[in-house]
Amino acid sequence: MSRHSYIKRPNRPLQFYAALFLVVLYLPVLFLPLFSFNTSIYVKFPLTGFTFQWYVELMDREPVWAALMNSLRVGITTSIISTGFGVFAAKAITRYRLPGKGPLIGFIMLPLVVPGIIFGVALLVLISRLGIQLSLVTVTVGHVIVCLPFAIATMIPRFEGFDPSVEEASADLGENAWWTFWRVTFPMVFPGILASLLLTFTVSFDEFIMAFFLSGTDPTLPMYIWSQLRFPKEFPSILALASIILVVSFALVFLGQWLNRDTQATDLNSE
Amino acid sequence: MDVIDQLGSLKEGKLSRRKFTTSLMAAGIGVMTTPLATRKAGAAAADQGTFFTWGGYDIPELFAPYKEKHGELPNFAVFGGAEEALTKMLGGYVVDVSHPCNSGIPRWIASGLFQPIDTSRLSNWADVMPELYDLKGNIVDGKPYLAPFDWGQTSITYRTDMFEVEGEESWDMLWDERYKGRLGSLASGGDAWWCGAIKAGVPLTEIDTPDAFEKIAAVMRAQRPLIRLYTDDTTTLEQALASGELVAAMTWNSSAALLQADGVPVRFAKPKEGALTWVCGLMIHKDAPNLDLAYDIIDSLLSVESGKFMISDYGYGHSNIKAFDGFDDETLQGLGLSKTPADILAGGHFQIPQSQQWETKMNTLFEEIKSGF
Amino acid sequence: MSITNGPMPDDATGLRKTSRLGALLQRSEAARGFTLLSPTLFIMAVGILVPIGILVVMSFWTQVGFGFDTTATTANYQMAAERPIYGALLRRSLWMSGMATMATVILSYPMAYFVAFHVHRNKMMWIVLITLPFWTSYLLRVFAWKVVLGYHGVINSALMNLGLIEAPLEFLLYSQSAVVITLAHAWAAFAILPMYVSLEKIDKSLLEAATDLGDGPIARFLRITLPLSLPGVISASLLIFIPTTGDYITPTLLGGPDGAMIGNLIQKQFGAINNWPMGAALSIILMLSIGAIAVSFMLIANFVRKRIS
Repeated sequence: MSRHSYIKRPNRPLQFYAALFLVVLYLPVLFLPLFSFNTSIYVKFPLTGFTFQWYVELMDREPVWAALMNSLRVGITTSIISTGFGVFAAKAITRYRLPGKGPLIGFIMLPLVVPGIIFGVALLVLISRLGIQLSLVTVTVGHVIVCLPFAIATMIPRFEGFDPSVEEASADLGENAWWTFWRVTFPMVFPGILASLLLTFTVSFDEFIMAFFLSGTDPTLPMYIWSQLRFPKEFPSILALASIILVVSFALVFLGQWLNRDTQATDLNSE
Repeated sequence: MDVIDQLGSLKEGKLSRRKFTTSLMAAGIGVMTTPLATRKAGAAAADQGTFFTWGGYDIPELFAPYKEKHGELPNFAVFGGAEEALTKMLGGYVVDVSHPCNSGIPRWIASGLFQPIDTSRLSNWADVMPELYDLKGNIVDGKPYLAPFDWGQTSITYRTDMFEVEGEESWDMLWDERYKGRLGSLASGGDAWWCGAIKAGVPLTEIDTPDAFEKIAAVMRAQRPLIRLYTDDTTTLEQALASGELVAAMTWNSSAALLQADGVPVRFAKPKEGALTWVCGLMIHKDAPNLDLAYDIIDSLLSVESGKFMISDYGYGHSNIKAFDGFDDETLQGLGLSKTPADILAGGHFQIPQSQQWETKMNTLFEEIKSGF
Repeated sequence: MSITNGPMPDDATGLRKTSRLGALLQRSEAARGFTLLSPTLFIMAVGILVPIGILVVMSFWTQVGFGFDTTATTANYQMAAERPIYGALLRRSLWMSGMATMATVILSYPMAYFVAFHVHRNKMMWIVLITLPFWTSYLLRVFAWKVVLGYHGVINSALMNLGLIEAPLEFLLYSQSAVVITLAHAWAAFAILPMYVSLEKIDKSLLEAATDLGDGPIARFLRITLPLSLPGVISASLLIFIPTTGDYITPTLLGGPDGAMIGNLIQKQFGAINNWPMGAALSIILMLSIGAIAVSFMLIANFVRKRIS
């Protein structure tokens, strides 16, 4: 280990920079919860007092609850569909030699990089040409497309992380493919599936651009927030709502990443 | 965390595979049934009619009769401009009632998306002022498509303590170089372009001519560098006026009324060239999923109590003549309103319906100007 | 769970019985792989290829009132070429996301370097901590910046309370810099991952060798670390540059009249302006320009890398 001494040596300026980086990364977002407990309806310093009033008000708002339910429905459906498809896709990508695999993966991962507005607009055009009414279903379709790459990317390291010979051994022992999957593969990749469910749910729950173009009369939670941003009297309640969403998203993503942590660690290190 | 415990015990071999599978199935069933459960919970709101409207109209004060009858408020969907709303409905968005204004009536009817109103189903129709529904293109085969609801003006709201008026109030105020970077405007061409026409001295009857396009574009271009903010969001304008970020902005009556109620020193200008006058109202979608509720939404909006709220809190005119009963002439004049709206409508600049081609052309051009071209 | 009920291509019956399909599936690895991949490929084809295909077709139509004239014409593209607004907004978008990309990559690189070389325990913890904000609502993060940069927002009110300024700074909000700051902040978490991965991959013995040959820390960084981490820098740049070019929420909330981007105009073609074919044409133009820039950037970066190493 002494060979790496100069690497091991703590680099003070860099440590300071890293700490500052994290502060700047989190600080703007943390202002939302901070002001959600402030008594003034204006978002400015100095803080005027501590209150739970905005959270209490939030509880009485029916549209908030309706929007929350819409988002839950879309999020749960999206996470199940995209994780379900993602399991097969991840298995196919890691276990089989496929001709043209590289371009195919690139194609599947497209939604990660192509600007959301292009997919939103393109799907809107398709859906309106087909004469389909905009609804939560169309939002879900949009979200599945956005979430599938995340699901697959989350599960690939899981499949890479365990030895295919375990599956082969199971097959040799006379288990059929169905049971091999069910009793060997599935438990092994289960943390990845869970992580994918959590992450895709969060992405869908927070997604705005697809919802902006594809939602009908039922708003998702981000759409509702967008429509309420304009009312100063509602502003603190929206801050409260935003804070709740942030906390829940943080918790879900953290849990998801934590469940999948061993694969990521090995994956990132081995790559 | 149950799941983590389970995973832990699986790793340690405490949990048999069979047991693991069982608990997994249970979790699976849980996840699968959640959407169904939520569907049920969300159903209540789905039973109500949907009102697709401008921001600020989605408030309980306007739906007291509706709430009394149905126990809940209608569902609301909010748009920033009437063009945006029409485009969205043309794209397959279906609502029960929407909220266009007089300049859009013929085009909205021509879109084929709306049905005529059976006025016998509206208990408040008898009190609606006829000059408000007797608008160009509104009555087809003896039936109106638009039930008038609110009317008012687009003018300038300015800070009396920060904006020094030179001479008379005028549209020049929004072209005042002294306040460069502290002026605001509505972003939608439906208001701004028409106000530009008034400023440019183009008669609204001739707004469709190439000459008018040139003249109006010229004044809008001249105004562009002075404007800090174009927005369809009245609240953003109001907040900016309240904080002093803006000293004057193009707004509707309600912004001035709301700011005055908050004690902000503002005035709703009566420009010497005249303000832009408009009438907005309600149309029923041809495929309205809740037709009965659609009529209840309209009837609720046309009621005297909604009207009183519109006048007192928003400073808008209402279509129900009885809504004016509690207000004296002085109050109404202060708001720029009158019990005989015909005076106001005749005196101001009233928007004239244009073709869809004109709207697209105007909006394209206005977007270019707003972006600095 | 749907996974368990899903179609299992290598289902027992299909394998055990000598049905032709089963035999084929068993024999051809590729066929089995593709079967597993098919639901994903199907939904991606329906969700990406078909809509974009229709978008391309529509970009050759013209809007007539509420309907479309479906005779193919390049009028939209001609208009985009002739009228200055389209090109200028496109250039401005590319410029602004270029700035945001540069800022993000430069600011995130030391962080990625720190985690790769100076964090020895709980590495994963750090990675999760850095990427966490990226997963949360984009809308809320933009919104948070509006709260921070606003006229009476966090920065202005704090500075005024401290007595450092007398009137709020107006340039903070409604400007191009507001958009660039917000974009850079929003995508920082995303930028770190690829850079971290390529830094982490660097063989430490190379650094050791360089030290033995007498290289100081700076020379070592320039000769070894930087060139070897370039692939990460390239993918980070593309991962930020491509999606931000089409953004329209940030400019809408924070940009003001001078901060509008091409995404805003596209969105308006589908809204107030009501000219869908023009909007389709602009989307295609945006996609092609991004593609062209991404490809040339990659070529240049590869060339540079070859020269360095």
